[in-house]
Amino acid sequence: MNFRNILSEIEKTDPEVYERLSTRRNALSSFGSKVAVAALPLALGAMFKKAYGKTTDAVVDALNVALEFEYLEYTYYRQGNNTTSLISSTDAAGFKVIENQEKQHVNFLNATITAMGAVPFTPKNFTDPTTVAPYVPAAYDFTAAGAYHPFADYKTFLLLAQVFEDAGIHAIAGQMPAISVNNELLIQAFQLQAAEARHCSFIRHIRRIAPINAPEEPAPWINNNIPPTVAFQPAYTGEDLVEQEGVVILSLPNNFSTDGKIPQISATAAFDEPFAKDKALAIIKPFKK
Amino acid sequence: MEINNKSGIQENEQAGNFNPSRRQFLTLAGGVAGVGLLLSAASCRKTPASATYIGEGDIALLNYLYILKQVTSKLYAQAVSTTYNGITKEEVVLQVDLRDQEVAHREFLKRLLDTKAVKEIATDLSQVTFADKKSFLNHACILEDLSVGAYAGVLRVLASDKYKLTLAKMASVDARHAGYMHDLQSHGSFGSLDGNGLDKVIAPSTGFATLEGYIETKFDARKLPTF
Repeated sequence: MNFRNILSEIEKTDPEVYERLSTRRNALSSFGSKVAVAALPLALGAMFKKAYGKTTDAVVDALNVALEFEYLEYTYYRQGNNTTSLISSTDAAGFKVIENQEKQHVNFLNATITAMGAVPFTPKNFTDPTTVAPYVPAAYDFTAAGAYHPFADYKTFLLLAQVFEDAGIHAIAGQMPAISVNNELLIQAFQLQAAEARHCSFIRHIRRIAPINAPEEPAPWINNNIPPTVAFQPAYTGEDLVEQEGVVILSLPNNFSTDGKIPQISATAAFDEPFAKDKALAIIKPFKK
Repeated sequence: MEINNKSGIQENEQAGNFNPSRRQFLTLAGGVAGVGLLLSAASCRKTPASATYIGEGDIALLNYLYILKQVTSKLYAQAVSTTYNGITKEEVVLQVDLRDQEVAHREFLKRLLDTKAVKEIATDLSQVTFADKKSFLNHACILEDLSVGAYAGVLRVLASDKYKLTLAKMASVDARHAGYMHDLQSHGSFGSLDGNGLDKVIAPSTGFATLEGYIETKFDARKLPTF
């Protein structure tokens, strides 16, 4: 069987195969009419390298930004979950789920980046990956030099968790333009971002209701650009965008509301904005050693 | 027969559904040969002429999301006006938010689709018992999980890159909604994620079939790209 036969077989079940492979199509022409089966893996490897080589560095860099957030989050939740009588018994199960999923995210991104033949990000002081990887408490100072005490005070733990989750969502969104050269990776970035958004919703909702009753009354989503405290305003700047693709969301009709309009809090909350790498990493910088 | 076919097409266009390729085809086809082609192409169509055509390609995909948002906005609007037993003040406030955000998404998609948007659709939320918190949350979870997975599925077959990043902005907000609904259903539950801790990718054909359980309007979605 030659390579063209393989493609024509795929085409029978998936007529759009050539559209899906459009970026690789030109690379295929270099094979000529016949490729020996034994040489196929090598040829495929070369093909993918040729197709993605130019953009691989940018994609890896983007995935590593996401990985950096996942390491921080996993370590934060594990440390919190392992701190006696920090987390309310009502919320404990949820935070265990989050911890486990953050670990899955680290492993997933590590595997993805490694499979691309690139080097995954590792946090500072990452020395012994065989013990409890990806738990790296030595990489972080979650007190931000004494400003916060998240493992001594549940309210603070929740506040920082919210900031990290929102920042993680915005960071992943901000990396999507770079990731988008590979549509399947972009889809996985969507899936990852959505999982983080579910976590974030849980945390923000806990903060809204009793007994926490956070003064800014956070919703599970971000109304305007409201931060949990003034110090974290930079982590929410730009979240109050009211225009998308040239459409002013505020001007859209809302047949269910009394004034017939989309209120500002919902026009802004309905879209999570992307943060560029520098802006996203600046949010977590005070918490890194 | 020729007249029937033509009137079928006209009805679709009058319904506000624009199908560029078919319109171009009609323009290009002309003459006896054109009629023959038209008949042979039309003979494959089984959906009654009254079915609302959602378009093809990216238009069909955006209409799929638009129809989904018609359903979710109606769901929350109804939930706000006929609240479930035992609802808290906080929950009412947040359901107004949910309604308004779904309307924002719906109207935004409608703007992107412009004249190609399907007409206002008739929803059918009769499966939902709005007075019953359990019933409402069950359906809200289904529809919010569907929303999140729908974007990822659409992304796989969307031809244009133009709106992908904006769809991501909406997808993560819908995931916040989904997380909240699952949390109300059972505190500390997040919905079902895969072994990598990732959200679902739902094929458009699968998603549309789920959606049809919540709409009265009959749609012709046979040209909805899927995988």
